[in-house]
Amino acid sequence: MNVWGAVAGGFVGTLVLTTTLRGASELGLTRMDLPFLLGTAFSADRSRAKAIGYLAHFLAGEMFAFVYFGVFAAIGRSGWWLGALFGLLHGLVSSSALINEVLPSIHPRMGTPLSAADSNPLLEPPGFLALNYGHSTPLVTLLAHVAYGTIVGGFVSLAS
Amino acid sequence: MRVGGYAAIRDYAAIGDGRTLALVGVDGSIDWLCLPDLDSASVCAALLDAERGGSFQLAPEVPFTTERRYVPDTNVLESTFVTDDGVVRVTDAMLLPSHGLAPVRELVRRVQGLAGCVPLAWRVEPRFGYGAGRTRLGWRGGVPVASSGRDALAVCAWGAGESRLDEVSISGRVSLAEGTSALLVVSAAHQEPLVFPSRGEVEARLDATLHFWTHWAALRTYEGPWREAVIRSALALKLLRYSPSGAIAAAGTTSLPEEAGGERNWDYRFCWIRDSAFTLDALMQLGCPGEAESFFWWLLHASQLTRPRLQVLYRLDGGDEAPERELDLNGYRSSRPVRVGNGAAHQQQLDIYGDLMQTAWLYAEAGGGIDRETGRRLAGMADHICAIWREPDCGIWEVRGEPLHFTHSKMMCWVALDRAVRLAEAGRLPRGRLAGWREEARTIHDFVERRCWSDELSTYVRSAGSTELDASLLLGALMAFPSDRDPQMTRTVDAVRKELGDGVLLDRYRGGDSLRGEEGAFLCCSFWLVDALARTGRLDEASDAMRELIGLANDVGLYAEEVDRESGEFLGNFPQGLVHLALINAAISMNRAERG
Repeated sequence: MNVWGAVAGGFVGTLVLTTTLRGASELGLTRMDLPFLLGTAFSADRSRAKAIGYLAHFLAGEMFAFVYFGVFAAIGRSGWWLGALFGLLHGLVSSSALINEVLPSIHPRMGTPLSAADSNPLLEPPGFLALNYGHSTPLVTLLAHVAYGTIVGGFVSLAS
Repeated sequence: MRVGGYAAIRDYAAIGDGRTLALVGVDGSIDWLCLPDLDSASVCAALLDAERGGSFQLAPEVPFTTERRYVPDTNVLESTFVTDDGVVRVTDAMLLPSHGLAPVRELVRRVQGLAGCVPLAWRVEPRFGYGAGRTRLGWRGGVPVASSGRDALAVCAWGAGESRLDEVSISGRVSLAEGTSALLVVSAAHQEPLVFPSRGEVEARLDATLHFWTHWAALRTYEGPWREAVIRSALALKLLRYSPSGAIAAAGTTSLPEEAGGERNWDYRFCWIRDSAFTLDALMQLGCPGEAESFFWWLLHASQLTRPRLQVLYRLDGGDEAPERELDLNGYRSSRPVRVGNGAAHQQQLDIYGDLMQTAWLYAEAGGGIDRETGRRLAGMADHICAIWREPDCGIWEVRGEPLHFTHSKMMCWVALDRAVRLAEAGRLPRGRLAGWREEARTIHDFVERRCWSDELSTYVRSAGSTELDASLLLGALMAFPSDRDPQMTRTVDAVRKELGDGVLLDRYRGGDSLRGEEGAFLCCSFWLVDALARTGRLDEASDAMRELIGLANDVGLYAEEVDRESGEFLGNFPQGLVHLALINAAISMNRAERG
């Protein structure tokens, strides 16, 4: 188990996660677009927001990979199946708390259930489990995060 | 004043906070309120069931007459109750969150004694879940509270007498003398604990809410004719706007009937793509760039899930599901069924592609950015139109019978491709399919000219091969369809007016539509007529018609979807966004025409 495994796993895992969400979007299963959600926090220009968002998303992917690595190190075990479990937990927390509660409250261009007549948000709030972005969104998000966790866990254990 | 417990629709005024709205009757009863959002289940729905719907009544206990108005340039309502004993004024508002810890939603009723001493009674009878939810009433720290599952509301009262609780309601009585005041507040919670506000915070939020509305109205840039009606319509649209997402609901209610006692009762608490071009145009002309930008972003986001196909309507939160079901409510003056959800969501309506592309074109013309991915999606829709325009559809009026080749739908397919070509020529859409779009637009144009024109009647007709007329043909003039047969569209405008009109009022069409019963005159069609008259240079006729139509608004300047030709009663959902949009756009067209 070494940190370079986490770095590589974070990169590949984020790549797979992003591609999964993008593919699901193209198939009409969800409107979830994490790079877009992240990037619009910095720019209202849609093209620029996407570019910034991808960068921010990869940074976040690496950051979470380090968190996974820290937990693996703390419990002295790693592996793809444990990574998949972490990914499931990560996906649940992301859709129920991070994206639904935290993101709208700090995102300058996203509405919240409290937005009133005196505000003009550019992005609708995701709602519980991001269901506002399509009813398949929770499933797609969870699967993408499980894939991410599996890859991070696998890379960390391979780099042992 | 009430018939069988039901007030006339025109007796209502709307108050709201950009998330939900309430309808306040001229007799002081709030008979419609959904919480926490405009499209949530109702807590007060006496509008749809006088016995079981729930309401918040506040009125003198002695005979009274009412004078009311909106506080100028606001969505705050003032009702003055005049009695033999004295005069009181009730100020109704839904408060915007500002000072202090604000409830999720907050409705305030401030009563001021103006003269004499007036005995008043108030009674809050909440019925959660469209009257079907089990409502529990009790005391929490000395405050009366009603709750049902994850929803709850508290009724805070200051100077309004002792609050009493029975099995179904919270109530009180007070005599208000000149110079004294009382305050009643409904504090609502959804999936979180209730907030009990202080009187000082409520008063501060009421002042801030008044200030916000007057400030917002003062920023509107329209200075043309009928300004007062235009600003009131803009404020009405603001009430229908769901601020968390930027979507604008077609109306504030469900199932107010198009015929008293009839079955034409629909849920309008969704955002219709059909209204998008009118909405964006009106918002930009009124000087509302924030709302316009927010609406356009919502539109792009909501339509992403079904692309390249468009749905007729989307939920206010951007969702694409709107399953229709019937509620166990008596209905407004026994107009059943009462429906929530809207089955028209999955109809095929070809005109909406023209509306969306026109919206994108207006947005781009105003300097809005269309990024590469959005351009690619719009191009995909243009390709989709090329593939499906030959199919029959349900048309703008969402006819639930056999699909037809509606003339308006085909005209709007031409609009879709024409605007796609313009956007591509301006570099906003990929140019790869430009020649194909041009070719297909020519074919659609040819279809409309050959199949949708009647030589016998000298006008475009409702559908290919038909001999009937349809008010939606007026939109050909509004969307600048380049007619070879009727270059100015004057003959079509005149024919629609003659065949479907009764004075300034118009029917949508006179043919069958597979539904039982009649309907009133559609007010949006009348404003489209004004718009078309102005665009075809007949300003005097447009002004006369506009004057008459402005006179049809209720006492606070609001419109329902329809009006009964005989009685002048409002029919259909209320307040209706499309009517107010059509009013605004007609006034803008008149202003443009006057200025040459």
